[in-house]
Amino acid sequence: MVVGSVSRGCQVVVIGAGPGGYVAALRLAQLGKDVILVDKGPRLGGVCLNVGCIPSKALIHAADLSWEVQHAAAMGLSVEGVSIDLPKLVAWKDGIVERLTGGIDFLCSKNGVEVVYGTARFASDRSLSVSTEDGQGEVEFQQAVIATGSEAMQLPGLRFDGRRVVGSSEVLSLNEVPDRLAVIGAGYIGLELGTVYAKLGSKVTVVEFLPEIVPGLDRDVAKALQRQLKKLGVKLLLEHRAESFVDGDEPALVTTGPDGAEVRVPADLVMMSVGRVPRSRDLGLETIGVATDDKGFITVDDRQRTNVPGIYAIGDVTGGALLAHKAYQEAKVAAEVIAGEPAAFDSVAIPAVIYTDPEVAWTGMTEREAQDAGHAVRTGTFSFKASGRAMTLDATDGFIKVIADAESRQLLGVTAVGRGVSELMGEATLALEMGAFLEDVGLTIHPHPTMSEAFQEAIEAALGKAVHQVNT
Amino acid sequence: MAYTFNFPDVGEGIHEGRVVEWLVSAGDSVSEDQPLLKVETDKAVVELPSPKAGMVLELHATSDATIEVGDPLVTIGQTGETTPATAGGVRPAPSTLRLAPKVEAPGSAPVAARRPLATPRTRARARELGVDLTAVRGSGPGGRITDDDVKRASTTSNAPAVEPVRQPRTMPAAVAETIADGEVERVPVSHLRKVIANAMRTSKQTSAHVTHVDEADVTELVEHYRTVKAAVEAEGGRFTLLPFFVKALVTVLKRYPIFNASVDEERQEILLKKTYNIGIAVDTPDGLIVPVIRNADRKDMVELAAEIGDLADRARLRQLRLDELRGGTCTITNIGPLGGIFATPIINQPELAIVGLHRIQERPVVIDGEVAVRKMMYLSVSFDHRWIDGADGARFMSDLVRLLSKPGLLMARL
Repeated sequence: MVVGSVSRGCQVVVIGAGPGGYVAALRLAQLGKDVILVDKGPRLGGVCLNVGCIPSKALIHAADLSWEVQHAAAMGLSVEGVSIDLPKLVAWKDGIVERLTGGIDFLCSKNGVEVVYGTARFASDRSLSVSTEDGQGEVEFQQAVIATGSEAMQLPGLRFDGRRVVGSSEVLSLNEVPDRLAVIGAGYIGLELGTVYAKLGSKVTVVEFLPEIVPGLDRDVAKALQRQLKKLGVKLLLEHRAESFVDGDEPALVTTGPDGAEVRVPADLVMMSVGRVPRSRDLGLETIGVATDDKGFITVDDRQRTNVPGIYAIGDVTGGALLAHKAYQEAKVAAEVIAGEPAAFDSVAIPAVIYTDPEVAWTGMTEREAQDAGHAVRTGTFSFKASGRAMTLDATDGFIKVIADAESRQLLGVTAVGRGVSELMGEATLALEMGAFLEDVGLTIHPHPTMSEAFQEAIEAALGKAVHQVNT
Repeated sequence: MAYTFNFPDVGEGIHEGRVVEWLVSAGDSVSEDQPLLKVETDKAVVELPSPKAGMVLELHATSDATIEVGDPLVTIGQTGETTPATAGGVRPAPSTLRLAPKVEAPGSAPVAARRPLATPRTRARARELGVDLTAVRGSGPGGRITDDDVKRASTTSNAPAVEPVRQPRTMPAAVAETIADGEVERVPVSHLRKVIANAMRTSKQTSAHVTHVDEADVTELVEHYRTVKAAVEAEGGRFTLLPFFVKALVTVLKRYPIFNASVDEERQEILLKKTYNIGIAVDTPDGLIVPVIRNADRKDMVELAAEIGDLADRARLRQLRLDELRGGTCTITNIGPLGGIFATPIINQPELAIVGLHRIQERPVVIDGEVAVRKMMYLSVSFDHRWIDGADGARFMSDLVRLLSKPGLLMARL
């Protein structure tokens, strides 16, 4: 990149180096394109690697470990005096982040992707002006891929102050465990980090405006999860609207309950996780006429093309499921389409996971979605209470539910709650992509003893021939 | 429960058809798979079998009505049941009438369009070959679309999907004036004629037609043919001269692949086809029909003669299946028997060339300074000058002429 007023050309410019952007850049380079990857920095990897998926999972694992050793008396394990050195835990987490983001740097340089740290803005539909530390530059391109992602939304009465009212990013790097943590929003981020701090010793209250946690979640799963949150001591205030934060001697989150009365939630720290908004502003999209929806998400077709020829968009900024693995797939589609290959985003299922305790995961249609789509639905469930493996893990909470079309017996979706069910979603999604029928999974040998056996058992239950539970 | 049978998608690119004849009437009981009616679509007349057993409660279209894919055709139910939603019997339907609104059988809630059942690899293959999976019927378990299904669909969908063009309601002034002058018989335009008209207009608008003509001395070829014909017929076979031309054409196509190709203009790619499916233009009482001989390179001449004979017979009887009319890669039109010196055939889209065979006639020819009487014929090739240069057209034709003039050479190349 030549800075100053000198412009620089490339075949494809990718804006944003999160899971969408860096994958698009790498795949484009593999396909022989001359690629510039522009990112705000300071490190590549976007939200996912720096302040999202990866760091949160590091904390979740540490919290789980600490919780488990303190709750293993039934197994004859008594551990006294577990202490948590939060700065050290955060440093360990930061080390992981550094290794991963450094890995992207390495891959970019090995694949010949030129990385430019700066803020990009479309000057025209074939050029980008980039402000870097050293000044202003211009990048001319033939195609551009917008992969700028999303950011945390703020409520009108509550703004992030970086101290008492923070977002999930800050909560991943605290110096000490807050005594009382109030979480606004019972979505997956709020529940995951709420669980972490509950396990690390905080008194956690989750405030949710809607009458249910994680809108759209299977109701049986939501029930199981709510039960477990209660066991962890997490207080759930549904139908409460967060209004403001009062600092001082009695710091508290002020909310309005369903009856209109004010409810104060004493809190030393408030984490606001009420949804995410696309980073589509300040990109100069209006100057080149890229269409967005009313929420600012960029509209794309199944080839990731926007309405402007040569301009593509992928990942969170295009809406839908705001998930890294969706961005990965879209990135590959965009790169291949740009290279003239007949790629398209036509995935049957996008799996999703909530790393609570127990984990919640689903892929394909939920029971409700299948019914709404007009299927005669047949389900089968298997409770981990009857799983030998779950008992040995002391993790018998939860179940797997499979959703199938009653007539054709084609598998339509899988929903699960339980220890480590995130790892079962790869198999379940493969089954969906391959168009598996119930019998296909039922006749597949699953290793014993594992949690994955429960998938086979749930399928057999749907076929009315479960072995390890009574058929209904 | 009464069931309404809608006009199904009988093949790619078919949007509408015409009811030729009902084979059942209201009150008849029908068994599953029993033919219900004949429908003229594109270039074939097909019989539609009943998907269910039961009693015919109501016919929703009269003979000669134009129907679109999805239009209700017939309601089948049990004795004593009445047709849901509509009352009364068959409505009188002039041929231009849009048919009754769709009748959904009660109880069968419409299911949102399901995704075609295919694995990610098969879906990728379909994109690669430009096949619309929603139009493919899967042959695998539970209707799963296999790689082979996709491949088959891609080879049968090369023919242009002829968009039915709605006739303008108002007549051009010039036409109206002509009509006002003297007695005129009004004859409805047949469905086949509409299809031909569209195909011809589309072709002329699409390709830059140029025709190259040469002549071949086929004296030796005809002699050879007579010997072979006698031998084949002695064995009870059927033989004609046409297979020699098919073989000669295939041989030359292999040498000049651009004549056995199509062009994907959207992606700016030339599709050189490795299969040799030769269309044979057949003159039928209803109009021009072009059945296709698949894999002509892999069949011997006796087989070709039999297949051409069979296809031509069935074309005249309008009994060809849709797949026998699709997927051609190059076409032959044999105008010779009907007279003329030569003609300039129109390319059968999306192909790039068509070869015209003209009359074989004894003519005086100068050979080595002497006049001899030889069996001569003109051959023409119309090709798309956008993609094929005139010089290549001349080379292509010279090779074809050489093979036909020296049957020994043709035999050597088989």
